[in-house]
Amino acid sequence: MTAMAPVAFSLAKREFTRFIRQPQRVAGTVAQPLLFWLFLGAGFGGSFRPEGMENVTYLEYFYPGVMLMMMLFASIFSSITIIEDRDAGFLQGVLVAPVSRLAIVLGKVLGATSIAMIQTLIFTVAAPFLGLHLGAGALVLLLMGFLLTGIGFSALGFLLAWGMKSTSAFHAVMMVFLMPLWMLSGALFPIGNVPGWMKAVMLANPVSHALVIIRAPFYGGPATLFADGSYLLSLAVTLAWAGLCLGLSMARVNRRERGV
Amino acid sequence: MITIENLSHTYPGTRKMPPRTAISDLTLAVGDAEFVILSGPNGSGKSTLFRILCGMTLPGGGMVRIGGYDLFAHPAKVRGIMGVVFQSPAVDKHLSVGENLKIHADLYGIRGADFTRRRDEALGWTDLDGRLDQKVDTLSGGLARQVELAKVLMTDPKVLLLDEPTTGLDPMSRRNFLAALHKLQKERGMTVLMTSHVFSEADDVDRVAIMREGKLLAYDTPAALKAMIGTEMVVVQARDAEGLAARLRAEMGLAVRCIGDEVRLEETENGESLPLLERILDRYRPDIAAIAIKQPGLDDVFVHVTSKAVPDHALALELRKAAS
Repeated sequence: MTAMAPVAFSLAKREFTRFIRQPQRVAGTVAQPLLFWLFLGAGFGGSFRPEGMENVTYLEYFYPGVMLMMMLFASIFSSITIIEDRDAGFLQGVLVAPVSRLAIVLGKVLGATSIAMIQTLIFTVAAPFLGLHLGAGALVLLLMGFLLTGIGFSALGFLLAWGMKSTSAFHAVMMVFLMPLWMLSGALFPIGNVPGWMKAVMLANPVSHALVIIRAPFYGGPATLFADGSYLLSLAVTLAWAGLCLGLSMARVNRRERGV
Repeated sequence: MITIENLSHTYPGTRKMPPRTAISDLTLAVGDAEFVILSGPNGSGKSTLFRILCGMTLPGGGMVRIGGYDLFAHPAKVRGIMGVVFQSPAVDKHLSVGENLKIHADLYGIRGADFTRRRDEALGWTDLDGRLDQKVDTLSGGLARQVELAKVLMTDPKVLLLDEPTTGLDPMSRRNFLAALHKLQKERGMTVLMTSHVFSEADDVDRVAIMREGKLLAYDTPAALKAMIGTEMVVVQARDAEGLAARLRAEMGLAVRCIGDEVRLEETENGESLPLLERILDRYRPDIAAIAIKQPGLDDVFVHVTSKAVPDHALALELRKAAS
């Protein structure tokens, strides 16, 4: 069997090459969250006064939420290309090659994650304008947050897309499934003042934990964060989520059509 | 090189669909460096067999060994010595020829100078010279097919499986593709199993296997298969072929078969056909649209073997006769 890492790297590189050759896709995926951020930020700015956050503007509050949105949607929608790969025939050539199934999953997932990270990193240039400053250590933690979120959710996208017949079905499912997960993550409003049942849903939502590890580096360096129990919990949940989705995706790819 | 024993496959049923048997108790062996064409009508189980041989589908029962490895126990080992050309192209159309070849080489762990050497050698078999940077979606159908060929050649497979690889190609591209394939097979001593409906492709191969309803009906050299239905045949086209066939049987005592709008009298020997043709023409001229004496080709063997008009026991008898 061919060594796994070079295969995964080669497949991931292909994803990236395809992405940057479609300038409309690059522009669209950056512009949409940017508009979301600017319009909602301006619109809610005047009325956003949650307890304990009097000094935080809504633009600033919503900023990590938009980053999360970019990571989430870009990584999930990049793994949709597995449906195109299957329809266009490319996938069958990969499946009959002597490569491990994990390499196939990782190739797609790392490709999707890197695409999502590039888009989100473009967005980080706005940070200084909000008065947010990232030290080197915090930047590393932020990138780690992006990476784990990207891996977890592109693997989830892969898992869901694998069995789907068309990209339109995938879009429909993702909008009813993913949008609420993002809305209930604390990206749009803080978790503190919501009804009890919603709080329970939000705390159980893996996207909420991804948001914690993306937001925290803007407000603390590694020393502070690694001493913070809630940060560590969210880090552990996001890590476990990524592992779970990768594992399930691999099991799905391994499953072959079986006769009776 | 390829041994298939008692292979069976039934697609499990769903709420709306009953289970469907695609392959039943199929046994077939392809020798080292043999070129075999697998044919059969649509729904005969060819595609299922192809998917099983590629390791993409696990059969309900039976055994397959490829290159000495048990396909189901060691799929990765088999994949390492096998090249596959699918009916639909397995290339990324948005990438260039060179990029596609590079990804394929990476999948097989071929890198660096070895990659460049293998790539250039593989391209030598094709008309893709100077097109490394061209995107695949800008290539003609024939050239795109050649990218597939170059891909598999780079990995130097011992066994090559092809699923109707010439579908959609113009006659010239088809001829070029097959010429390259035959030359390659001989030079490299590859074992080739190719599914095809086009019988002009089968005359030069070592053996032809014909399947129907998941069973192997015939498996022999093209010459032996043609001999199954005699050296000549009389073919009559008629508007009411069934009616004419019935009358020929009843009134002239001829063992004719009716296939579509054709009535066929097979297994006539040299010299017998012309007088027979004249007698038929004399008696049934108004009913006949066209009549001809033909030397049977593989397409006639295919029609003969797969025609549902022939009961299985009659076929079995004929096959036994052909085998002896």
